[in-house]
Amino acid sequence: MAIPVTVVDDSKISRKMVIRALPPQWNIELTQAENGEEAMAAYRDGKAEVMFLDLTMPVMDGYQVLERLQKEQLNTFVVVISADIQPEAQARVKKLGAMAFIKKPVKTSDIENVLHEYGIV
Amino acid sequence: MPDSNDTANLLNFIVDRAHVGIFVVNQKREILLWNQFMEIHSERKANTVVGQNLFEAFPELPQKWLDRKIENLFILKNFSFTSWEQRPYLFKFAHNRPVTGGVDCMRQDCTLMPVKDDNGEVQYVCFTLFDATDTSIYQSKLKETTEKLRDLSSRDGLTQIFNRRYVEEALEKEFSRARRYGNKLSVILTDIDFFKKVNDVHGHLAGDEVLRVVSQRLVNGLRDADILGRYGGEEFMVVLPETDNQGAQVLAERLRNIVQAEPIETAGESLTINISLGVSELYENTAAYAQLIAEADLALYQSKENGRNCTTLFRPDF
Amino acid sequence: MYYTNTASSKSDKKTAIMSIQPYTEDQNDALQEVVNIAMGQAGDSLARILGRFVELSIPRIHLVNVDDVIKTVTSMVNNNTEISAIRQAFSNSLRGEAIVVFAQTGADDLADLMGYDTDLAPSAEQELLLEVGNLLVGAIINGISDTLETDLSFSAPSLMAERTPLDQVLVPEQLSWSHALLMEVNFAIEGRDAKCHLLMFMAEEAINTLRGILDEFMDGI
Repeated sequence: MAIPVTVVDDSKISRKMVIRALPPQWNIELTQAENGEEAMAAYRDGKAEVMFLDLTMPVMDGYQVLERLQKEQLNTFVVVISADIQPEAQARVKKLGAMAFIKKPVKTSDIENVLHEYGIV
Repeated sequence: MPDSNDTANLLNFIVDRAHVGIFVVNQKREILLWNQFMEIHSERKANTVVGQNLFEAFPELPQKWLDRKIENLFILKNFSFTSWEQRPYLFKFAHNRPVTGGVDCMRQDCTLMPVKDDNGEVQYVCFTLFDATDTSIYQSKLKETTEKLRDLSSRDGLTQIFNRRYVEEALEKEFSRARRYGNKLSVILTDIDFFKKVNDVHGHLAGDEVLRVVSQRLVNGLRDADILGRYGGEEFMVVLPETDNQGAQVLAERLRNIVQAEPIETAGESLTINISLGVSELYENTAAYAQLIAEADLALYQSKENGRNCTTLFRPDF
Repeated sequence: MYYTNTASSKSDKKTAIMSIQPYTEDQNDALQEVVNIAMGQAGDSLARILGRFVELSIPRIHLVNVDDVIKTVTSMVNNNTEISAIRQAFSNSLRGEAIVVFAQTGADDLADLMGYDTDLAPSAEQELLLEVGNLLVGAIINGISDTLETDLSFSAPSLMAERTPLDQVLVPEQLSWSHALLMEVNFAIEGRDAKCHLLMFMAEEAINTLRGILDEFMDGI
């Protein structure tokens, strides 16, 4: 069963870097979103069982997505991937319900570690 | 081709003997390396300081600041610097120049370099200490010369207060600033009553002395932000930032009283000297700074007409 | 910092503009991402040292004309304020200069957050600004260098302006380039007055070199 995964980032090259770092053996159905609104739309379409989420995006940013997911108690596994790596940023996204935080530039091992830790792969 | 042993020896030699201070500390601030430059200038041999805590070995170091700087290096993992311009020295070393230019000890620039292990963690901080004494002396001399030059071109030779050009430029600047920020601004023009008579009766040397003394008394009566200049032969201008004509009037009266409070001793005489003053202030429709001068001048003229030794505020009906 | 340019006329500068090709959309995207990462690392460094949350603006990157540089810079900083600024050069594969601008009103805050007394002597305040500037510039240079896998180094910072109106700090006639790549970002401390504005300039030659480096970087993805 292919797991629906959405990669959310306003930068095309950043999405590419995340996608490249996904474990090759992972069976997924991939969707890309450019901002929080598109991410929420993907979720509603059932395309975001796992979400890789950037924080700084126009229209609707990563924090707003997390707030919405938390408020509506929606069920998706969110991994924040961000350039804003300061300790407080990491703490805040965890409090908003993100399961993990990965610093950009993302490496395959980072993603693998998270997925293994939570038994997803 | 030098083999790796030769290369190692060469590097050791260079680090030890190069004409810069090189020393290394670890996370516990223990000294691990102390090159010859440091030995010579600290008068402490390497074998007496290696292994010791840096701050215990050198208690005069500014510990609070330096320890934090070192700690930041371990955290941030990046180069850091100090400059003699902000902090003349880390170590109080003698310098090898004769004592000219008033420099009591070596001026130092420092680079702090993180030394990382294979995991990217910082294990040591390597300091490079440069003797910047010559540069600092040249810089001081240059600064001194520039200031002298600036003074020469902005000061009046006889009285040593600012000259006309300087005080007019100051007024121009204050005018712009007052316009930009909506501040108040006033100008006082004053001249010495019957000054020509002083010159004619007592001679020009007496006249010069009167000018010097009056200038000094005016200087003493100013507030910190006020700018005084010799505007003409016996005429002075005061620029009063952030002051309206009421405030300027208070100051003008103070100046008038300071000048006349005591006679001026010169040429074997005791001369009573008075000044007349005119005050103008900036309005919303004041067109240019020159208008402030012109209005103060008209007010000064009124003071003369009214019997001298008094202050007049400019009124549009003058 | 900049060398007085006596020889070139305005028209010479204008023709030079023609020879700078702008970056492609992909190259711009890649550069933006690299700069985001580097600025994030700088924000992280500052946050660790100050123990506070650092608000980063989204880094802006543009090709500027020397005549426009004042307009671009002053759109970030209120023109009425007095500012202090430090500058720091970087070199090796890319040459350029960074300027960190501090609004005077935030200097006390910074001192307090860094654990200094707030009533600082001028030299101590200068030292503080140089330290913070070096922290930011160093982190950004390292971030760009690591992400693009290219060698960059930087030298000691120095004071550029102290409590001066902004329009007296950058004078177009004193800048020796006609066109430069300008990257800017604001750092603010949550709940505090302290703010700084970081500008990184790279002139014509570096713009071209960077183009090649970006292409190599994108090929590697």
